[in-house]
Amino acid sequence: MKDIFELTINADGKNEAFARATVAAFSLALSPTLEEIGDLKTATSEAVTNAVVHAYGENGGKIKITGEADTSDNSITVTVQDFGCGIEDLKSALEPFYTTKPDEERSGMGFTIIDTFSDEMSVESTVNVGTTVRFKKVFKNAES
Amino acid sequence: MKAIFDVGKDDVLIKLYGELDEYGASKIKDDVDKCIARHPARAYIFDLENVQFVDSTGLGFLLGRYKKIRQNHAELLVSHVCPQVDKVFKAAGVYTFVPKINL
Repeated sequence: MKDIFELTINADGKNEAFARATVAAFSLALSPTLEEIGDLKTATSEAVTNAVVHAYGENGGKIKITGEADTSDNSITVTVQDFGCGIEDLKSALEPFYTTKPDEERSGMGFTIIDTFSDEMSVESTVNVGTTVRFKKVFKNAES
Repeated sequence: MKAIFDVGKDDVLIKLYGELDEYGASKIKDDVDKCIARHPARAYIFDLENVQFVDSTGLGFLLGRYKKIRQNHAELLVSHVCPQVDKVFKAAGVYTFVPKINL
């Protein structure tokens, strides 16, 4: 049986540190290296930031984060789901340096960093329904 | 997150404490911008010894300060970069315009 967790937070920047620390703590059972924990925290932070910044308007909303640990390939799969506005142009959103909010000093590097720091990434988005970002990190250097 | 400023004759050392993400960057942005506006200098150095985490929002923060500083014909530098921050900076090509120095 795979170990799982589920976490729901308000889409607020101040909850990001809690979200990435939770994912990092969950991964410890698989003995990741410090660098791999850093990668996982970075990818999680990007996915949660996207939901905080883009998914909801002034009234805010919820973000659901789930984790699944797979001991067969020593990996963790993280899913970050929002129920907000969705991404109209997903192809552009996946391009490095693309941002819909250049006036806010956004780097446009969120998805690029998730892709770089994880082993697999997928994004599903439906306008006015929400966005789900899923990424998998394999702990190659772990001592098991 | 907090920022402490050490204003020298030619350069300004800005020591950052905390995690440079969406929340952290929003907490220090105004203070850092006020410091840059009040203290013209040749170089501004972000000392990241006490920053254990940065994400793309932190990159955006850095990029924004870089633009302001370049408008004043000054330089932006970083020092004491931890491995997680180093990896993000390398992935985004930060060091091509913000050099890393050893203090």
